[in-house]
Amino acid sequence: MKILFGILIFLIAWQVFSVILNVPLILPSPYLTFESLSHLAVQSDTYQAIFSTVWKSLLVLLMVIAVGMPIGFLMGINEDVYEIFRPAITVVQAVPVISWLALVIFVWGIGWKGPVVIGFLSLLPISIFTTATGVRSTDKNLIEMAKVYRVSRAKIVKTIYLGSLIPFIFSTIEVIIGDVWKVIVVAEYLCGSSGIGVLISWARQYVDVPRIYALTIITVALGITSERIVKMAFRKLLDKWQIPS
Amino acid sequence: MADTILRVEELKKDFGALPVIDGWNLELTKDERIAMIGPSGCGKTTFLKIIADLERNFSGRIEKNFEKVGFVFQESRLIPWISVMKNLTFVSSDEEKIRFFLKAMRLEGFENYLPSQISGGMKQRVNLVRALAVDPDILILDEPFASLDMPVKFSIIEDINSLRDKKRFAIIMITHDIKEAISMADRILILSKRPSKIIEDVKINLEEKQRDISSTEFIKIESILMKKIFSI
Repeated sequence: MKILFGILIFLIAWQVFSVILNVPLILPSPYLTFESLSHLAVQSDTYQAIFSTVWKSLLVLLMVIAVGMPIGFLMGINEDVYEIFRPAITVVQAVPVISWLALVIFVWGIGWKGPVVIGFLSLLPISIFTTATGVRSTDKNLIEMAKVYRVSRAKIVKTIYLGSLIPFIFSTIEVIIGDVWKVIVVAEYLCGSSGIGVLISWARQYVDVPRIYALTIITVALGITSERIVKMAFRKLLDKWQIPS
Repeated sequence: MADTILRVEELKKDFGALPVIDGWNLELTKDERIAMIGPSGCGKTTFLKIIADLERNFSGRIEKNFEKVGFVFQESRLIPWISVMKNLTFVSSDEEKIRFFLKAMRLEGFENYLPSQISGGMKQRVNLVRALAVDPDILILDEPFASLDMPVKFSIIEDINSLRDKKRFAIIMITHDIKEAISMADRILILSKRPSKIIEDVKINLEEKQRDISSTEFIKIESILMKKIFSI
């Protein structure tokens, strides 16, 4: 109920500002935006674009987890590996998206690979560092206990390290899923051949500002919905396993 | 001596400029139970870590004639996200033995509970079962009852004492509680302040039935020890 009330206040404020500003090219009214949204809702192109953005985002999410977590795990478990990898990953994290963009356009041109690679490189450091932090914060008392009982290294890794990593894995996925849409849409806008970012790019060319806002609403809705679903699912799992989040 | 399980000679340990253990000498035979009482920071836990190979940087000589160590930690150190049973099979694959000790420690029926679902006293019992499940030659107890109330504490001590009739192992326990020490030990070592020395090695010649905290003999020994400890 409070959320609906918050949304209502937001829409009223939007309407008031759009009337005061009276420049639809900068801030179209909610009415114009939702009208454009209703047009988008009946066009098959919209669904194809959403599908294209969704699969690229999921692919990036999977790649980031599959590559980032093992690297982060090794960095967390071994101080030397951490020190060796840290500079390179810090550099990757600091590189602006525009530099990756120039590189991927040069290598692959316009297409689906560019957004996927840019999304992957942008989100990989988050996955690596969050995982490494998780491993490094493993309860040392548990490791000491396992050493007293001469438990094998493999068993320690499987039971203690991976177990204590679960909340970090979940929070990494939560963070990534919130960001991946934004990164993919930006990358599609700049070098994609399909997807919501491409529709925004076309709308910009036609100076169709309400359509840009409507597509933005779709992206925001996708981001919030996916983040909420993942959060709820993970909370349930953590409660079930009695792991503090 | 043939049945010496542990011999410590001139053990010294410091943490940089801070000397902690200053020339301890002691011997522990199979089946013997010793308790160590001393002020905080005098190196008791460090000594247990040395015995359990968790601390290797020390001087002096330590002769160990045992293989398996059971360590009952001050905090239960149970893995929170796996069940009681899985915590136990994490250190020992002998489920039959685990079930025997679970029964002896009155934990039957709690195998599938998570550590967060059982009480502090039960967690310490699981901690103890874990130590016993590895079939230890020596059982190390690091202030294991510090956070427990008196009835729970003495019921666990009773359980340990009765278990020793079925399975023989030596015990080294550190504690701040004289009653605990008298209830469980054949010898009580009194330690000085840091840098610590063993200043008294008191034999407790009590029958098991005299180890009741309300018995006259128990109270007599307790008062003698109190005097010695307060004179440190």
